[in-house]
Amino acid sequence: MENMTIQFFQDALFSAIAAIGFASISNPPRQAYIFCALIAAIGHSVRFLLLECISPHLHIVPSTAIASLIIGVLAVIISPRTRVPAETYLYPALLPMIPGIYAYRAFGGLMMCLYHDSEYAFTHYFYLFAGNAITCFSILLSMAIGATIPMFLMKKISFQATRHSNISQ
Amino acid sequence: MTTLKTYNPSVDELCMFLSKYSDRLFGSGATCIRLVKNVSRIANAYGCNAEISIFPRHIHLMIMDQAGNICTAVTSIQDRPADFALNTALSKLSWNISDREIDFQCAIRLFNRISNISRTSPTMELILVSLANASFCRLFGGDAMAMVVVFIATFAGYTAKQQLIARHTDFRITALICSFISAVLAAGDILFGFSSTPVIAIGTSILYLVPGIPFINSFCDMIDRHYICAMGRLMNAVVITCCLSAGLCAGMYFMNIGMF
Repeated sequence: MENMTIQFFQDALFSAIAAIGFASISNPPRQAYIFCALIAAIGHSVRFLLLECISPHLHIVPSTAIASLIIGVLAVIISPRTRVPAETYLYPALLPMIPGIYAYRAFGGLMMCLYHDSEYAFTHYFYLFAGNAITCFSILLSMAIGATIPMFLMKKISFQATRHSNISQ
Repeated sequence: MTTLKTYNPSVDELCMFLSKYSDRLFGSGATCIRLVKNVSRIANAYGCNAEISIFPRHIHLMIMDQAGNICTAVTSIQDRPADFALNTALSKLSWNISDREIDFQCAIRLFNRISNISRTSPTMELILVSLANASFCRLFGGDAMAMVVVFIATFAGYTAKQQLIARHTDFRITALICSFISAVLAAGDILFGFSSTPVIAIGTSILYLVPGIPFINSFCDMIDRHYICAMGRLMNAVVITCCLSAGLCAGMYFMNIGMF
């Protein structure tokens, strides 16, 4: 249990650092960094809880969808308070959940298919390619849909976030 | 429709301004729904209506005033890195024009000022991205040494990316070269056994190149039924992903290591 608690906080910390780093690529306003980190930490921690702590463990796809939905709701709620569009928080907070390892394994499987002629080896690597590619795509889809639904459900808040503020702010 | 009482621009002037505004906003990483809302808001504030068609490489804009005068413009979208500070400022400008009745000349001045908004310092960006990718490695289960390897591989790859972008190199070639550099450096972990999780190190070393914003924007556009633009963004993201995968593969082949 203690080990799980440490892992939980580590997960939150590293996802916050990842969010700040990836946010810097898209040049957000300075005040947005802290909220990107906070939203990413909450979102990733929720996914960690759903994947590891509750019984029975939830599959990575619905876990990611629920975590993304929470990230989307938080981004929309915080955006009018800081006068920044919700997307500014949404994207960096989602990036730590990008299924990079699945994409890498899918691509690896595809490459190995090309290198092997025997039916057994080809089938094995095609299985690796297809399994990882389907998981990767499903995670991406659940992330995108989960995160954007709050923006469309709360359109009035999402698209009026920058209202009543000066350009210099 | 609320019309500004101060100087109203002609349809042509407004159309030219909005075509530049659209290019900047779309290039900053805005979704189609935001672009349509902001452009319509500004046009309405000056007593006009705006109709906008968004294509993957062009924006077609039609402005019509209350007297029925029409102006159309087609703008090429310039390739620019995502910039949410610019996105925020341009959105604020649209609300300032709409709510505070900003004079058209003043709006142009503000737009020109916003367009030259400063970016995060390249050195700071380099350090933050390297730390982020190392954290990514940890999130995927990599150990401390794997994190160090990923930090170094990302640092080198991202430095190359900044240099290539500064030289206006095609973004697909940039993705290919940078992923090759990062993969070659991270492959050192497999060859020399620095960490106990070398596969995670090499897998995460190129993740800073994953086009996350185009991927998510494409789904956002799809939900709002901007299918052509959504497909354009998705294809763009897929092409970049293919290029970085090819760079990774070439790096691993160069270092003579297998994928699994």
